[in-house]
Amino acid sequence: MLPTSLAVAIATAAMTLVPALLLLWAWRRGLFRDLDAQSRVIFEPRDWRIERPWEAPSDRLAREAAHGPLESPQPGEWGGAGRSDTA
Amino acid sequence: MSAPDTPRFGSVEAARGRLTLEEVGAIASSRGLAPEDLEVRLRADASSRRAVLALFAVALGWLIIGTIFGDIASIKLHSPDFLTRTSWLTFGRVRTAHLHAVNYGWATAALIGMALWLMPRLVHTELKGVPIAIGGAVLFTIGIAAGIVAVLAGWSDGMEWLEAPRWLAGPFLVIGGGLIGLSLFWTVASRKSEHLYVSVWYILGAFIWFPMLYLVGKWPTYVGVESAAANWFFAHNVLGFWLTALSVGGAYYFIPKVLGRPIYSYQLSIVGFWSLAMFYSLNGMHHLVGGPLPTWMITTSIVASVFMFIPVVATAINLHMTVVGRFGALRYSPTLRFVVLGAFAYTAVSLQGSFTALREVNRVTHFTHWTVAHSHVGAYAFVTFVAFGAMYYIVPRLVGHEWPSERLIRWHFNLVLAGIAIYVVALSWAGVAQGLALLDPATPFQESLRRTLPGLWARTFGGLLLTAGHLVFAYHFWIMVRTPERARRTRPPFHEARPVLYTAEAEAARR
Repeated sequence: MLPTSLAVAIATAAMTLVPALLLLWAWRRGLFRDLDAQSRVIFEPRDWRIERPWEAPSDRLAREAAHGPLESPQPGEWGGAGRSDTA
Repeated sequence: MSAPDTPRFGSVEAARGRLTLEEVGAIASSRGLAPEDLEVRLRADASSRRAVLALFAVALGWLIIGTIFGDIASIKLHSPDFLTRTSWLTFGRVRTAHLHAVNYGWATAALIGMALWLMPRLVHTELKGVPIAIGGAVLFTIGIAAGIVAVLAGWSDGMEWLEAPRWLAGPFLVIGGGLIGLSLFWTVASRKSEHLYVSVWYILGAFIWFPMLYLVGKWPTYVGVESAAANWFFAHNVLGFWLTALSVGGAYYFIPKVLGRPIYSYQLSIVGFWSLAMFYSLNGMHHLVGGPLPTWMITTSIVASVFMFIPVVATAINLHMTVVGRFGALRYSPTLRFVVLGAFAYTAVSLQGSFTALREVNRVTHFTHWTVAHSHVGAYAFVTFVAFGAMYYIVPRLVGHEWPSERLIRWHFNLVLAGIAIYVVALSWAGVAQGLALLDPATPFQESLRRTLPGLWARTFGGLLLTAGHLVFAYHFWIMVRTPERARRTRPPFHEARPVLYTAEAEAARR
């Protein structure tokens, strides 16, 4: 029965094995080193300092202690119209 | 992080306001950024601006067209005499046109736009090969349009999700998609960031997987049952390896970015990506449970479907635990509202898919409306919601001013949320009722259809709500992009006020 779906079987095997080899290559290449820094690569200093209205006071104090005084958010800060604008 | 040596100037700069080097420095210091960081960010956004906005506009056009086709097809299921005199609006054509318009025209174009914007930001450089990417987007759009027109005219390859004629639409889609992929890979190859964030893996993976799937799916020599196997190999994998990969990649960026905290477990995100890469390709055959295929293929597919718990749970834990305790943020961020709900839908649809693959469940749900509801949880509640959230975040940063109306955002969100909820609940219920009736030898076939009617009417109502939500969003996008004098009443988003940086004089002084 194998020839019935040979193309699918080969493609499936390739799509399973090739990622495994790629994973090995990426590992040896060091692309998974320092994952903590990798997880923070999307942030800028300001991301840690914006005041977030939904935040618990304890979280806010912790961020202030770690990053200094917090800054006020601006319209569009989190993607969308400012809450005050309802036109 | 050093600034690029050869800044790119072009029509973006000509079209936009300019900042002097000193102004950039002033903005950067007021925002707690090094001027170089701000510069890299602004250049990244400016480089992808034209391609991304064009793709978003095209995607929205297809979204409107596609949902209108969907509404027509939905009405025909409970009112079969509706629009029967026009051949190109018969069910077989209009339903297929709907599928192509929303999955390729809308979701694919919107997610490619998102990827073109995200990638330069993720690797801290400009988008490379902008003309190549734009050319690719144009060809891709021509391919989609040609495919849909051909399908409406009755010219189809006859494989689900692959109906667009291979010799008409195929070359445009292959070359267009290839050019966009080339631009993305070139960008990554030129990266200035040491690290590859997990979203980069998802986006690059998607652009490697899709051509392989298309090639196998469109291979022109299949006969009989081979076609079914190849068909579902493509149709299921295009969800997991293309739409899901791009959407999860986007969610991994927008959720932590908006919340201002890293994802819950970065290690788990790596596990999630690589387990998806290794296990997902076996899944498609579970659509053919009970069909005339080798038993080993079906069984392997069912096992792989259960294996999908690993990437799904890994991704679910990550995305949900990042938000836990911060659900209040959803009130403030439309982006987060859409993307977080999309992430929930991803978890739901994936687990639902794994259970539906089991023979005992499939026995009831196969050949029923359940499958249609399931695919809408995936393609709409997950993929489309992430795409909406991404657009709410990206567009203000490209046009330099805020979305003009919070009210329109609320209308959009409420309409599409209500629409998809009604759609999925009603159709899932109708699917189970239909499946149970079909299994009962004492129940006439016609009765199994009659029992689905309330669900089909509700589906049409839900679909009309979705269409209304899309029209609201398209109108909002239009006034955002085309009538800035209205939109500029609000202040621009932070430190992307005027994305183009330098006057020629300032640039000369900088050198």
